[in-house]
Formats: sequence, C-alpha cells, structure tokens
Amino acid sequence: MDALRYIIKRLLLMFPILFGITVLTFFISNTIPGDPARLAAGPHADAKVIEELRETMGLNKPLYVQYGTYMNNLVHGDFGFSNFSHQPVIEDIKAYFPATLELTLFSMFITILIGIPFGVISANKKDKIADQFTRVMSLMGVAMPAFWLGILLLLFFYLQLGILPGSGRLDTGLSPPVTITGMYTLDALLSGNWTVFQSAIIHLILPAITQAAVTIGMITRMTRSSMLEVLKSDYVRTAYAKGGTDTRVLYGHALRNGMMPILTLLGMTFGHSLGGSVLVESVFSWPGLGKYAVNAITYLDFPAVMAVTMLIAILFITVNLIIDILYQVIDPRLNYD
Amino acid sequence: MTLLEVKDLKQHFTIKKGFLGEKKIVKAVDGVSLHIEHGETLGIVGESGCGKSSLGRTILQLLKPTSGEIIFNGKNITHLPRREMKTVRKDMQLVFQDPYASLNPRSKIRSILETPLIVHGMNNKAERMKIIESLIDKIGIRKEQLDRYPHEFSGGQRQRIGIARSLTLNPKLIIADEPVSALDVSVQSQVLNLMVDLQKEFNLSYMFISHDLSVVQHISDRVAVMYLGKIVEIANVEDLYKNPLHPYTKALLTAVPQPDPTKKRERIILQGDLPSPVNPPSGCPFHTRCPVATAECKTEVPELREKEMGHWAACIHVQPAQLEKPRLIIS
Amino acid sequence: MLLQVKNVALSLKREGKYTKILDDVSFQVEKGETVGIVGESGCGKSLTALSIMRLLPEKAKLEGSILLDDENVTEFSKRRLEKVRGNQMSMIFQDPLTSLNPLHTVGRQIEEALILHTDSNKAERKRRVIQLLKEVGLPRAEDLVNEYPHQLSGGMRQRIMIAIAMACHPKLLICDEPTTALDVTVQAQILDLMNHLKQINDMGIIMITHDLGVVAEVCDKVIVMYAGKVVEQANVKELFLNPKHPYTKGLLESIPKLGKRKEKLGSISGMVPSPDQMPSGCRFYDRCSKKMDICKQEIPPVQEVGEDHITACWLFKKEVEEDDTSRSKGFETTLHH
Repeated sequence: MDALRYIIKRLLLMFPILFGITVLTFFISNTIPGDPARLAAGPHADAKVIEELRETMGLNKPLYVQYGTYMNNLVHGDFGFSNFSHQPVIEDIKAYFPATLELTLFSMFITILIGIPFGVISANKKDKIADQFTRVMSLMGVAMPAFWLGILLLLFFYLQLGILPGSGRLDTGLSPPVTITGMYTLDALLSGNWTVFQSAIIHLILPAITQAAVTIGMITRMTRSSMLEVLKSDYVRTAYAKGGTDTRVLYGHALRNGMMPILTLLGMTFGHSLGGSVLVESVFSWPGLGKYAVNAITYLDFPAVMAVTMLIAILFITVNLIIDILYQVIDPRLNYD
Repeated sequence: MTLLEVKDLKQHFTIKKGFLGEKKIVKAVDGVSLHIEHGETLGIVGESGCGKSSLGRTILQLLKPTSGEIIFNGKNITHLPRREMKTVRKDMQLVFQDPYASLNPRSKIRSILETPLIVHGMNNKAERMKIIESLIDKIGIRKEQLDRYPHEFSGGQRQRIGIARSLTLNPKLIIADEPVSALDVSVQSQVLNLMVDLQKEFNLSYMFISHDLSVVQHISDRVAVMYLGKIVEIANVEDLYKNPLHPYTKALLTAVPQPDPTKKRERIILQGDLPSPVNPPSGCPFHTRCPVATAECKTEVPELREKEMGHWAACIHVQPAQLEKPRLIIS
Repeated sequence: MLLQVKNVALSLKREGKYTKILDDVSFQVEKGETVGIVGESGCGKSLTALSIMRLLPEKAKLEGSILLDDENVTEFSKRRLEKVRGNQMSMIFQDPLTSLNPLHTVGRQIEEALILHTDSNKAERKRRVIQLLKEVGLPRAEDLVNEYPHQLSGGMRQRIMIAIAMACHPKLLICDEPTTALDVTVQAQILDLMNHLKQINDMGIIMITHDLGVVAEVCDKVIVMYAGKVVEQANVKELFLNPKHPYTKGLLESIPKLGKRKEKLGSISGMVPSPDQMPSGCRFYDRCSKKMDICKQEIPPVQEVGEDHITACWLFKKEVEEDDTSRSKGFETTLHH
C-alpha cells in the first residue's frame, strides 16, 4: 500500500515538472532567431503570403497568448501540426518514437548483460589481467565516438563480411508487423511472425552495439568501483566465514549491495541514450526520433520540438521513478519516503 | 558551592519521516535535575540511547533545550543571547570521545591549542605561547612537538591534546563525553590519571559521561545513572556502588565483567534490550525489563526521591529510610 | 587436541614490501575449552583469528602450521577451506550490524550456512533455522526469520551472528570482540548465552578481547599478545593472580576495578612500536619498567614459569646463567611440553 501511495505521489509530482519543461522549451524555442512562417512558406514566397501564414499559424500574437493556446490544445490531446511533415505531430511521434525506444531498450539490455558482469569480474580480479582487459575495453568504448565505431562496424560486418544488415529496421520486401507497440521485435513476437522477428533482431544488432559501447564502458567502471567498496565490508567477510564460494559471495551478497550507484547510472544513461541517439540513427539510417528531432529544430517546427522534448522528459521521469522503486525493492531499509 | 545547577531539563527531538510523514518525538533528556559543586566530578552512566550525551550537549547549549533551566555560576544561562553565551562558554568546555575526529587533521598542534585563545580575544602571541607551553608540559608533550600534526601522535596523546585544548581558556567545568572509550586500557589509565591531576591543580569540576561503570567509579565523587532520558539514581560514589537502590543500577553493576576470576558473583541478567526512546514505555521506563516490576510500575511514573541521606532513586519499590527532613528536589 | 597453532608468522604487504605482523605465535585449544587472546589494538589478536580462518588479504604470507584436528589449515585448498569454514570452524565479529548483510532477511542468512554445508530440503532447513533462533534465545522466532538486521537491536543482531556460526555445530568457534559494540546489560546476556552454548556443544572457543573483565568471566586459558607476539600464557586464575610478564602486570594494574577505588591507576608509558620498526630484542623494551641490557639485544625466549604458565621475558631466565648448554638453545620454545 505504501508503495502505491508513493508511486501516485511521484506521478503527481510529474505535472509541475512537465509544466516547467513546456514553459522553458516554448519560450526558448520561440526566442531563438529565425522565422517559422518564412521557412514554412518556402524561399520564393512573397511577403504577403508569409504574413498570411504567420496569421494562420498564430505567430503574430503575443508569446504568452501563443503559449496559452498551445497549452489549451495540449490538455485536449492536441500536440499541434507539423509544418515540416505536414501531418499532426502525434502521427510523427507514433511513427518514429517506437523505433528509438526499441533501439534504446536493446542497447540498455546489452549494457546490463555485459557491463555488470565485466565490472564484477574486474573488481574481484583487481589489478590482474582480467581487470586490465576490461579497463582497456571500457576506456575504448567510452573514448570512441559512436558514429565512428558505427561506421567501422558497418564496414566490417556489412560490407566486408556481409553477415549483418547495414540500414533500416527490416529486410526489404518484408512488411512491418501489425502495429501494437510500434516496436517491431515485440509486435512480431506478439503476432507470432517469426521471420519478421528474426529480421528485426538482426537489424538491431549493429546499432544497438554502437549505442551500447559507451554505456558498457561506464557501467563496467561504475560496477567495479562500487563492488570494490562493497567487497571491503564486514558482511562480505561474514559470507566468506560461513564458507561461501566466490560466486555466491560476489553475486549473492556483494552485487546487490553495490547495485545502488549502478542503478542510478543506468537511469541516467537511459535518458542519455534516448535523447542522444541521433548519431547512431544517422549512421544506420534508423528511422527514429533523434533524426526527427534534429529536422524539427532545423525547420523551426516548434510543435514537433515541444512534443519530442516532453516525450523524452516523461520517459526520463518514468525511468527515474522505476529506478527509485527498484532502490526500495533492493534495500529494505529504504521505506518509501 | 554549587557551580552548575540543572533544573528539570528536557531535550526533545522531533523526527519527521519524509515529505508528509508523521512526526515522532524522541525524549532524549526528559526532566533531568542535577548539580555539580566546585572541584567535584559528577559521573553520568548509562547505556547507549539513555540520553547521557544529549544531556552534556544540552548543558553546553550546543543543543537548545526544549525546557528547563541551566544555572551556571549563579547565572541562568538557559536563554542567553549568542554573544553573552560566548563568554560563558569560556568557562565550560567539552572533551570529545574520538580523539581522531575531534582534532583538525590539517592544523598543527600549536594552532589547535592557540585557536580558542585567539577566538576569545587574547592578542598577545607571547602570552598565548606561555599558556600553551605550560599546558603541554602538564600533558607530557614536548615543546618541539607543537609543530606536528595530529596524525603524528598516538590515540592517547591526541586525547591529552584534546584535554589541553579544553583547558586553554582556564574553564571551571569540563564536560567529558566518553573521553577514554576509544583508548586502550593502558592508555586509558594515563588519561584518567592526567584528568585527576589537572582537576586538583586547577580546581576543575567534571561532568564525566561514560558507559563504563568501572571508569566512572574511579573518577567520580557522585554518580548519576540514566535510563531512557531520566536519572533513575544519583548518589555518592561509595553509596551507589556499595548500596545500589534502583533495580536497574543493581543489574548494571552485576553485569560488568570483573577482571577477577576468583570471584563468581550472582549476576542479574536483564531480559531484552533497551526500549527505543522514540516510544518509551509508560509509567516507569524500566518496567519492561525490571525483575521486580509490579502492575503499578506500568502506570505510575516514579519520582526521583531521596531514599537515604544524599541517595536518590526513582523507584516506587524502594522504601525511603527515615530521614530527618525528606526533600523533594535536589539542592 | 582440537587446534594447534605452531610458530605462526604472518606478513602483510604494505606499500610494496612485506611487513611481519605476527611472529612465532603458538598456542593450543582443547575441546570444550575457552581460550582468551588479549592485548591492545595492534597486537595482532584479530589477525591471529583471521589466520586460523584463512580470511586474510590475498597478498598475505602465512608461515608455520595451524592444525585443526591434525589437519594443516595453512595447506588447505580454496575448495577445502569453503567446506571447513562455517562448518567445522565459525567466527563471529565485533560489529553485528555491519557483519550482517543488510539486504537479506535474518532467516536467509542463517539458512545460507545450512545450504552450504548440509544436505537438507527447504522444510528441514526452515525448521533448523527456527530451532537455532530459539537456541540463541530470540523470541518470536517464526516472525523473526522474515525480518531484516536493521529492524533488530544490537543484542539481537549478535544473537543472529551466533546462530549463523552455530548452524552446523562447529568444533571451533572464534569470537572477535563479540561484545565490544554492545551495552553492558546486553553483553552480560551474550556472554551468558555463549557459556551455555559451549557447555551443550562441547566446542572449543577462542575469545578475542581487549576487556580483561570478559576474559576473567569466560576463559579457561589466556594468551597475552603484544606487538604480534605471545608474551604470556597461563590458565585464567594463574594469570590474574600471578602475572609474570611486565606487560601483563601493567595491563592488570591499569584497569579500574569495581569496588576498589584508588587514587592513581598504573599505566604503561609510550606506545606500541609500529610493525616496520620493531625493536631487535624484546618488543616491549621501550615501555618496560624492568628492562635490562640483554632485553635490547636479544629476543626473550619462551619460559615455563609455573604449571601451564609460560612467558617470554628475560627476567625469568635465571637458570640460563648457571647452565651454558641451554643458553645456546635460548630461542627454542618450551611451549609444547
């Protein structure tokens, strides 16, 4: 019950945060130089057309009135119309967002699967070869620019070996699965379409690895330092004194105790991957939100910018809430307060 | 002559859980009255959470008292403004438990000892050095060691430096909070001996707070036993140790392991642990663990009364001896 | 003989070089006997215990032999150690709060010892855990199994630690300052419990403490350590009534005793030498009130000074002067008579 009350409280707190974000984004994007009407009308339009367009777009009203109108529409579920894609922003989001989410979730999955065990091994074999190896690997992951790594992977696995696809979300000729979540892997699974599922997974491998390279490095290092701290503690000594084996002590006792900072970092990286996927999406021609957002900014497509910002904010807050709940699940000493 | 008098002192902390959580009150010190004479040592013993440290800090006004009065040297200092409190504080100093944590690791001993003098306006450097040099001579630290840092000294030396620091301003009262608990026995005895010597030399009064009954017995003239924020017994050291009246004191005394294997004493083993001061038991706070508790103890709060001459206990089962004039408050 | 510690030396790596922390430590523990190891901080008493458990840092060099039931623990493989720890020998530590895993329930932590060392099913283990909780005097055992260490008091936590240690009926129980972190009334309860458990289980106990009161109350035999060496060993009455070594005497004189109020306590001047600056002769030389010339140059041999009473001090080497042949064998220990 405590947990439920806590979650509701946290969700309610989301509204003031979102409100703040709309204010900030709205006023910043509207005060940057550039004229959306001019851009929308095209380079050869005359002044009169632009003026009319400005009128229909509501751009000649004072900023706070524009904001009021926007918010009024927003609470009625209307995210506005994109002048760039010529369709309601919500449609664009539906099309691009699941692709990004899918990519991010996959890269997080890889991060956890590789980063945490690497960190644990590294801590347990401190200053030995295994530790040196993971240290070099994580430094490489963190230091290598994502787009460069992406291109290298493309050159090798796609051009050279030809074993992995180089762009898009599915093989050409396959049609996307029935839209349920918009994430092809999940939708294909749900609708039982095995061929599409395979294709979708194969297409995810390179972009997900590219995106995960940085986060694996960070999580490995964080896990290592957190584990080193925990391994010094008395209860680890007790666990060994009981006759515990290395595996049992490391994964049964130490890791859970060292999980807090790792979780925090995971939450932060999730948000980071979500918002910063544009480079990876460009390299792999991934039809995701990152590319969409960059285009929206270039074309001063304010409704689209606003919608993307809010979406990422909501996701970020949700992920943080999940992380906070996980803290309490892990540590019984924290009591939903 | 009375140096310090504390009347019905209370120190209640409010702990609030979370954003909208409920408030809870911890009665760390709950109606303590006591006095300390010039040149006297009052020992305060009790187990963890009994409020003995909070009592010391409240008397020094490092914590603002919830209610009650503190009269020092004939002057009520309970609600003094900050500036006036500063001059009073010269006369009452605190010695901490942990000699490692209470000395600034980045300061040389010279500056650690000099700072209180500077703060209290002694501007003449030569004069300051004279005071410091005569002090360190007493605590067994050489002049050339003044320019060393705390980590270059042993635990016992550090605690002696801590004591020297508290003495720089020539105080009248020293409140020592577990001053020897972090030290090894052989070093502990050095510090205790030093404290006794300094007391004689400067006519100091000590309030000596400790969980160690043997140490408290060694150094104190009178001893107060605390349990859950209250004094349950207070008496001269001989009376208290030879003839404890309160069942808690009795249990406490038999619980101390004695370094004498030939003596096998009947031990009173109390059941359970100390109740939490957040939610203390009703009536007598000790009734949950008391071997002689009766139904009345659950409801009736026992007052601290003089049961024998100068020997006060808060227990309804202790019958007062025939006193000439039973007194109600300690004076 | 349950445990024979013979000429154990321990070196730890500090700042790149090995420093000898324990030197020539020898003693024995019989079944049903409680042996106290006393000394001040830095005397090596805890490291002696950890050496027996082989819970030492990785870069520790352990010499000599430690025979548990005539098998040499110092030669045990990692596998073998895991089988022995918590099973044939157990250890409890000073701070029960940090020694228990904060994230696991009490029941799980006790059960772990049973999982590691017994062939039992879940129901049997549960029964045994509850039985153990009752044996260590904890109330409402059925509920307690599901509680976490932070919900318990210090005394209860130490009882849990004892339950873990006792889970597999060890032959040897090592207690490292088990009551130091506890209040006196709780300490009395724990000492009482340990005496009771010793009687019903007929095990050997090593009680490490700095508190001579605790030693007098629970030990049969006492070993006094100073700066990594055993300086005196005797049965408990003999040691307290007839201490020989100046260090032991100094220790006994410096403790305030209940019921005896003295103006001045005895004390030992100076401080323990640091391990990398050990004097070449007697390690107590600098602080000793009875030092002689020979003490500075030569390590004092271990002497028999009474029935089951030995000490390492030149003061008691009178017969050497008369008998030249034994002088050449001065360093030979007469410990294992």
